[in-house]
Amino acid sequence: MLNSMLENLGAKILVLLDQAGDFAVVSGRAFRAIFKRPFDGAALMHQFQSVGVNSIPVILLTSLAVSMVFAVQLAYGFKQFQAEGHASQINGLAIVRELAPVISGLMMAGRVGSAMAAELGTMQVTEQIDALECLATDPIHYLFVPRLLASAIMVPMLVGLSIYVGYWGGYLLLVGVEGQSSVVYASDFFKLLSFRDLRIALYKAFVFGVIIALVGCWRGYRTHGGAEGVGNAPTSSVVTSSLWILISDFFLTKLLLV
Amino acid sequence: MEPVIDVVNLSKAFGPKVVLSNVNLQVQEGESLCVMGGSGTGKTVLLRNIMGLLTPDSGHVAVDGKIIQQLNRDELFEVRQKIGMCFQMAALFDSMTVEENVGFALKRHTPMTKAEIADRVDECLSMVGLKDTNKLKPSELSGGMKRRVGFARAIALKPKILLFDEPTTGLDPVMTDVIGRIILDLKAELGMTSITVTHDLKSAFEIADRIALIFRGECIACQTPGEFKVNPHPVVQQFLRGDADGPFLQDPPPPKRALDRALFHPIHID
Repeated sequence: MLNSMLENLGAKILVLLDQAGDFAVVSGRAFRAIFKRPFDGAALMHQFQSVGVNSIPVILLTSLAVSMVFAVQLAYGFKQFQAEGHASQINGLAIVRELAPVISGLMMAGRVGSAMAAELGTMQVTEQIDALECLATDPIHYLFVPRLLASAIMVPMLVGLSIYVGYWGGYLLLVGVEGQSSVVYASDFFKLLSFRDLRIALYKAFVFGVIIALVGCWRGYRTHGGAEGVGNAPTSSVVTSSLWILISDFFLTKLLLV
Repeated sequence: MEPVIDVVNLSKAFGPKVVLSNVNLQVQEGESLCVMGGSGTGKTVLLRNIMGLLTPDSGHVAVDGKIIQQLNRDELFEVRQKIGMCFQMAALFDSMTVEENVGFALKRHTPMTKAEIADRVDECLSMVGLKDTNKLKPSELSGGMKRRVGFARAIALKPKILLFDEPTTGLDPVMTDVIGRIILDLKAELGMTSITVTHDLKSAFEIADRIALIFRGECIACQTPGEFKVNPHPVVQQFLRGDADGPFLQDPPPPKRALDRALFHPIHID
């Protein structure tokens, strides 16, 4: 009984270590492949389109919803001790430092990372990735690099957009509904923020973008087992990259904020 | 003469299942070898080892004197440019048109201009009898057409070696003959060395200079079609007859019920 339990535990840990090692090796190869020739500009543009431009509606809606609901909560909470005036300051702080990067990151993991996993997974089970290899093309160079670059560049830009939308979401609620002064809101939103906060938000977004692309592509690349495998790849890519986004968010905040 | 493809003591197992054990094969320049064997005897695994898509457990494969398993990735890709591989299910890139599929390697590995690539793509497509399909997507093609596009893609870079993985499985007899002719044409026109994995005896006897039979992971015969026909080995003879009774199957086949019924319970048809 105890023996078999230990055995199972050990086997699971071995599988986990094996996967971690494989992910590290594949990621390393992807980073090295960025500088390899030939550079595929058309594929990169295509990924900019599908990672960046096509994600704008999702980011718009989620940022608006989150910033508005957060403003509602703040207005209600601060009213308890007659400090409504602080709501806009806290709103600004929360949106720029945490809400915009993390919510956008999670949404992008769901929208973009899963699509990458599904696409590469299908290519893997239909032997298209083997066909790439046989045509003397490194799949990591051909498939990973455009996605990695597009994700690393577009996610920070989308987080910038998310912050901008968040500002107006809070405005809509605090100025439009709660009746605060728009001039005060405009200056208070940035009162507790410095330029460093924006920079940290973009750093985080960059790291999230890299995580989303690498995990999505890696899960797809390592897909096996036919239709079921292709079905599992996006799910596990979303779960894994969301977890890593949250974990890395904690450590990045702790490291960059001190 | 140094063989172009030299498979030496190749063994490969997946977990407890031994797929290939100690396989030796030599293919000379310009020669066409057919590899035959029952389903699941490791014929595809053999091709994948030659391509370097799998790593053997022991033994090695040398192409043009270079041992595939000892090359780094850049060297491996260099060797792979000399080899064209045709997959069983064609493995076309389904997000690209036929034209982009065939021109894929040309675009990436040669300094050719767009017009030159288009010319070469047309040339390859007409070689496999698929003119004017350039703008179609793989999903709009039939199984046989897909496979022929796969051929065109494999020959686009003018490789020295062609590997065919079951090029005729699942096709009607006429299309099977067409594919056989394409393989013969390619050999005659371009002098390619080829390895063809197939189940189809008729096309194997047509296209092969030598036929190899893999049985339970071992290569039990590798000889010219004439010698192969008269090989006294019981497995070879059973394979040629296409009979279920004999040493070929590990588990005994089900009895011939239809025959039994006919013999012992004759049905009277009025």
